[in-house]
Amino acid sequence: MRGVNAALGAAGLAAFLALGEAVPRLSLVKEAYFPPSSRVASALAHEVSDGAFWSALGDTLVGWAIGLAIAVGAGVAAGVLIAIVPFLRETTASTIEFLRPIPSVALIPLAVLLYGTQLRSVLLLVVYASFWQVLIQTLYGVQDVDPVAEETARSYGLGTWARVRHVLWPTALPYVMTGVRLAAAVALILAITAELAIGAPGLGQRIAVAQASQAVPELYALIVVAGLLGLVVNVGARTVERRALAWHQSVRGEVAV
Amino acid sequence: MRRLFAGLSAGALLLAATACGSSDGGSSGKGTSSGGTTTVKVGLIPIVDVAPLYLGQKKGFYEKQGLKLSLTLASGGAAIVPAVASGQNQFGFSNVFSLMLAQTNGVALKAISNGVASTGTQGKDFGATLVRKDSSIKTAKDLQGKKVAVNTLKNIVELSVRESVKKAGGDPDKVKFVEIPFDQMAAALDKGQVDAAMAVEPALTTIKDQGGHEIASPLVDVAPALTVAMYFTSQQYAKQNPDVVKKFRTATAQSLAYADSHPDEVRQIVATYTKVPASVLAKVTLPKWPAEANRASIETQAELGDEFGFFRKSPDLDALLP
Repeated sequence: MRGVNAALGAAGLAAFLALGEAVPRLSLVKEAYFPPSSRVASALAHEVSDGAFWSALGDTLVGWAIGLAIAVGAGVAAGVLIAIVPFLRETTASTIEFLRPIPSVALIPLAVLLYGTQLRSVLLLVVYASFWQVLIQTLYGVQDVDPVAEETARSYGLGTWARVRHVLWPTALPYVMTGVRLAAAVALILAITAELAIGAPGLGQRIAVAQASQAVPELYALIVVAGLLGLVVNVGARTVERRALAWHQSVRGEVAV
Repeated sequence: MRRLFAGLSAGALLLAATACGSSDGGSSGKGTSSGGTTTVKVGLIPIVDVAPLYLGQKKGFYEKQGLKLSLTLASGGAAIVPAVASGQNQFGFSNVFSLMLAQTNGVALKAISNGVASTGTQGKDFGATLVRKDSSIKTAKDLQGKKVAVNTLKNIVELSVRESVKKAGGDPDKVKFVEIPFDQMAAALDKGQVDAAMAVEPALTTIKDQGGHEIASPLVDVAPALTVAMYFTSQQYAKQNPDVVKKFRTATAQSLAYADSHPDEVRQIVATYTKVPASVLAKVTLPKWPAEANRASIETQAELGDEFGFFRKSPDLDALLP
């Protein structure tokens, strides 16, 4: 099965690249605005031979990783705390619903005002966007705890910390992992968007410079890199999720089939 | 959450502070100095216009003044002005009209050095109004009733096109302005989304390469030797660090003069901080870099801004200009 899937995947990619080559060559769209795959590929080859490209990639990954780490740490801590303290849950519910839908990009002017065009302004946007993903999933996860299990643990005399560790956390973890996976993708999108719009160093800034320079093949090459990065992040997040939940029936079930 | 709220309230305070024209600078407002060298952060846009700073840095003009430049590229003036106003950056590059607009909105800025000027020659400027090859539009007057692309509405580009139409005997109010970024103007013109576009380099060369036809040089129509952009700082920084500002001004004047007389080196250095393809870069029309800003041309921009109703109130040029 695996081999067939991989072959199908490769065939799909090849067809897509062929289409990307043919559409501009057949003048369906102008080459000047949509260069054929081969030209994008050679621009990409040129990019990867440039040291500045790698440091931009590094900047983007650093912004992504730090932002994601802060968002996950704060999201899980706040989520568990809010979920187990009824008073907090009631007082924050409306505030969370109000803040959550605010698009992170709306905070760009604030980020620039506070931190200029530095890493910190990227972090502000990344953390803001990905924090909610983790927080909401953690809240759902904690709410899903089986009351019977909770009561049983209580009657066996388990303390608060032990209950969090042995009852609450195993129930919430699959939700948290979903939140982390969503947050990882959102964090990457926001890191690149922030660099693009603000001009903080990174892949996004390189895309903006290519755009302002009318360097179209380079522009597409960098977008391809951003896409590949998204793919790697997603595959990575799924692997982490699978490892962390190896004991859980959702993952065990997948293996059995 | 607390961090976030701390950030939000600090932001609100800063906004209020800058709005009242008394920004308190922020923690990094001073620039850092060590061993007699002051490091200053300068916000730039990745375009040909700022080549003199890169050249001056390379030639050691700033070092000689005891300045170390930390150049940061922002994607547009919208990110540069607030960064300077809040003290995140010490200096920035912006078109003069945006500086006037910021001032009329209560942001206390101080222009300190010339940035870039138009060449002043019709048909040979770094900005032009272009139409498709087969267009029936022949002069700026024909733009009446037509859709014209400008990068930002109610800013220098729209102002210059309006003046250009007016000088050609047309009514600028009859022109329909559409906001499209410079880099997308070639495609918009090609697809017929707009009838004309006011583009600057390198978009100008790209459009010409695709058969676009130049009908006017609006920046030249506004004033001969028009000062388009300047380097600026915040009023507060200028007041607290007159020495640094003076050094920056001296080194920048030297850099501008050097760039103006070494076009080949300009093209070389542009290739280091932009991705303008070599074939385009060889053809772009370089702007002029006079060491001093042309005050008369800035006054003309302010008058036109009033005339076309771009300002809430008239800018105070004495407070803004050096």
